[in-house]
Amino acid sequence: MKLQLVFFAAFAMLLFSATAIRPAAAVEPDEVLTNPALEARARTISSQLRCLVCQNESIDESNAPLAHDLRVLVRKRLLTGDSNEQVKAYIVARYGNYVLLKPPFIVETYILWFGPLILLLSATAAVIFFFRHRAYLPSEPAPLTDDERRNLSDLLDEPDDNMGVG
Amino acid sequence: MVVETGLFALILALFIAAIQAVVPLIGASRGEASWMNVDRPAAAVLFALVTLSFGALMWAHVTSDFSVLNVIQNSHTDKPLLYKITGVWGSHEGSMMLWTFILTLYGMAVAVFGSNLPPGLRARVLSVQAMIAFGFILFILLTSNPFTRVYPPPLNGEGLNPLLQDPGLAFHPPFLYLGYVGFSMAFSFAIAALIDGRVDAAWARWVRPWTLVAWCALTLGVAMGSWWSYYTLGWGGYWAWDPVENASLMPWLAGTALLHSAIVAEKRDTLKAWTIFLAIITFSLSLLGTFLVRSGVLTSVHSFAVDPQRGVFILLLLTLFTGASLFLFALRAPALKAGGLFAPISREGGLLFNNVLLSIAAATILLGTLYPLFVDALGLGKISVGPPYFNTVFVPLMAPMILIMAIGPFLSWRRGDLEGALARLKLTFGVAVVTITVTVLIAGISSRALWASLGFGLAAWLFFGSLAEWSGRVGLFRRSFGDAMHRARHVPRSVYGMTIAHMGLAIVLAGITGSLAWKTEKLQVMRPGDSIMVAGYQIEFTGVDNDVKGPNYTASRATFIARKDGRFVAKMQPERRVYTNPPQDKSTVAIHTNFIDDLYAVFGEPDGKGGFVTHFFLNPLVPWIFFGAVVMVFGGMVSLSDRRHRIGAPIKKTRIASSVAAATAPTAGAAPSIEKKALLRGWIYLLPLLAFIVLAGFFIHRLQLASEGDTPNLIPSVMINKPAPAFNLPPLLADRPGLKTADLKGKVTLVDFFASWCVPCRAEHPVLRLVAQAGIRLVGINYKDKPTDAKAWLAELGDPYQAVASDMHGQTGINFGVYGVPESYLVDKNGVIRFKQTGPLTPEVVRDKLIPLAEKLER
Repeated sequence: MKLQLVFFAAFAMLLFSATAIRPAAAVEPDEVLTNPALEARARTISSQLRCLVCQNESIDESNAPLAHDLRVLVRKRLLTGDSNEQVKAYIVARYGNYVLLKPPFIVETYILWFGPLILLLSATAAVIFFFRHRAYLPSEPAPLTDDERRNLSDLLDEPDDNMGVG
Repeated sequence: MVVETGLFALILALFIAAIQAVVPLIGASRGEASWMNVDRPAAAVLFALVTLSFGALMWAHVTSDFSVLNVIQNSHTDKPLLYKITGVWGSHEGSMMLWTFILTLYGMAVAVFGSNLPPGLRARVLSVQAMIAFGFILFILLTSNPFTRVYPPPLNGEGLNPLLQDPGLAFHPPFLYLGYVGFSMAFSFAIAALIDGRVDAAWARWVRPWTLVAWCALTLGVAMGSWWSYYTLGWGGYWAWDPVENASLMPWLAGTALLHSAIVAEKRDTLKAWTIFLAIITFSLSLLGTFLVRSGVLTSVHSFAVDPQRGVFILLLLTLFTGASLFLFALRAPALKAGGLFAPISREGGLLFNNVLLSIAAATILLGTLYPLFVDALGLGKISVGPPYFNTVFVPLMAPMILIMAIGPFLSWRRGDLEGALARLKLTFGVAVVTITVTVLIAGISSRALWASLGFGLAAWLFFGSLAEWSGRVGLFRRSFGDAMHRARHVPRSVYGMTIAHMGLAIVLAGITGSLAWKTEKLQVMRPGDSIMVAGYQIEFTGVDNDVKGPNYTASRATFIARKDGRFVAKMQPERRVYTNPPQDKSTVAIHTNFIDDLYAVFGEPDGKGGFVTHFFLNPLVPWIFFGAVVMVFGGMVSLSDRRHRIGAPIKKTRIASSVAAATAPTAGAAPSIEKKALLRGWIYLLPLLAFIVLAGFFIHRLQLASEGDTPNLIPSVMINKPAPAFNLPPLLADRPGLKTADLKGKVTLVDFFASWCVPCRAEHPVLRLVAQAGIRLVGINYKDKPTDAKAWLAELGDPYQAVASDMHGQTGINFGVYGVPESYLVDKNGVIRFKQTGPLTPEVVRDKLIPLAEKLER
């Protein structure tokens, strides 16, 4: 959210006093490849590479000069016949895994990638434990007598005791 | 005078908050009514004082009182009145004032509407509220005082960032804070209940409306922020999984889970410890968001005035509130007796399932947002976790939740009939299948189309499933129409609220799916008179008006006429504005919506040859995202209007609720070996506290690094211990040699990347002499510079380099891994890079690192 767009001001201006914040599109027309398939691949790759001088933007979104250079480089590599993975590897060889917005699956990121699964499994275990040990459902209680039913509906003067999005 | 009154009122408020925090709490524990009764007057006085203080700050902004530092830094006389008012919370100090103002507003609301609360509960709730208020007022007074005076006052202010001069600023932060801070109510109720040691259905009934208010506000706040970014940032993005965005989504997910678990706590007197836990976590995540946003431990595109010192203070508050409450939770929660029992397949089971998935989603986002911090703290390097990660993990968590969302409301409490529920969803299932088929038929077979069809299928499933539940409830097709309508009128509003909010989510889901699947983009240079086609629209560029005058800016405004099949559709006028104070550009886009798709036009830079860069998007179904969010909020409000939720419902009602709860409660505690198990479970309740302590440790570590000058975007080089990349660059100066890789061998060499346009390079320049004096061979690579500028720069400052090469296009820089000049690399005798300095060299770095290392390498 632009929630703290509120605070965009000072810091961004300080860092990039040279580059005015121009929200106009980052990709410039003269960068665009004539081959639409290659251009589409270039856009995909660019959106997965982090701009190094920006505050958390991909090079596809950024109008920093280095982002421009890297976009051009991505397109050059594609024109020489690199695969998407080769292009990314080329950039990673120079700048490290930091540039990958999708972190690679390496020892350092095992917890990141397995984390949701671990959470899901532990939650499942916890829920099974919960049902096994606490909230077992006993046999159905005897149905209410007519008297009880009348008392209850006096108490609950609502037609339908159902939940809402409380 | 007014400004001093504001400051004085705030100081006074600090003392009132202290009184309100202590006296009613003691009163409640001793059962002294006179002490407890301090709570309501204190809350009222606190609210009045903070309002006075906030009003004084607003007055200073509206009257442009430039003797106040905060006004100087964020305002200017030229600024339109709306932005003078909203600019109050455009700064860190002002937004903290807004935060505190809203906090005391909620306290006031408890005082006004809380007459039906048991006095002990109310006293404790208001006491906890006052503790939070005390912490934040102290924070403002000690680190972020907005009333600081300046003498002599300047003639005018520095103005507000143009990006903030937008109606979005008027609504987005207030609603967001109403949401964040609103969850402090559930938090305070949870703490009060833990102190009291009693959680019953009545308690849950009191918590629900407050949670619902906060949820509605946060939903609206997040949606408005998303919309603001959509029309501001210029590429039609509405969600980027940025840390600041995640900071608002996490409390939303946890708050949504809380909303639903509170239903179970109220109706069935169970999941109580879990509900309390969620109440603590939701507000803690709101505080965590504040910390992440303001401390600078993470980088965000929505940057903010970061300040590690303030970060320390917020971390302290976070640790106090979250740590203490989790400690209290670990102490008291094991003793909370579970009430109503239920089978896995039941209404409760469905809500539990929803809770599990929402919580895991929130935890996953927390993991992804903070993971770079962990990896860095453990010395494993720097990595990024961006949108591709979040999309990969979030979708598989949400898809089953939405599947269950349609089924859950069909299940009855205690024990549900899954087959029966599914049988009643047959038609809905059919509609979903048709939706999927039609999507594939239209979009063809591709992975994108398959994803889109699944998204639309789920949206249809939820939308029509919710409708089917309603029609089944009123018997639309089983009874006569009149009878059904009669029943429809008697369905509780909270049920309507659920149906509407669930349908709203379905609309949001459809909107997101559509915008991801079929976005069209056209980027080109156009001259006035040119026409292009964008996704079936013919767009004619009719001209540019370069003399648009705004109150504090001038603009170039382009006019485009959009036509479809030759018929006029819209006139679109995007602008490029140049603001005067502060001098900054801003582009405003033009959007034409037909409520199904948005035609989105951006007017870019001139190319110098009579043409202009223009950028058009067709964003399908994006309006549905925001419309759906509004529907969700509307559902929440309908539910809130249910008389069972109405704040200040008659006491009689709550008594009934408690007696019903009491009637269902005794089934608990049947197991004989309860004590042994309670002991075992006691450890489980400690886990959140332990996890939080670890987390706080990481934050402290990160803040410590920040105070030593390391920032999250200082990226270690991967080129260390690798041969310098191959290059062969021409000389900058004609009478001197150029530079190639082989030249680096034989002697330890410092390769310095510099440019005349780079401000820090100027600061670094004198330090380079020290390098040369130490006998290290120094060569320069002039990075992306005009040779004439570079020559003039060297002529002015002196040339310490043995060779200067020119890297006009920056390719060699990229091969070295340069991302911001100045950067320098120490290369050993064999041409292997051994050290990199990012940013300017300082005398200390040269003395303590560079020279000793060079001497070692030379041996």
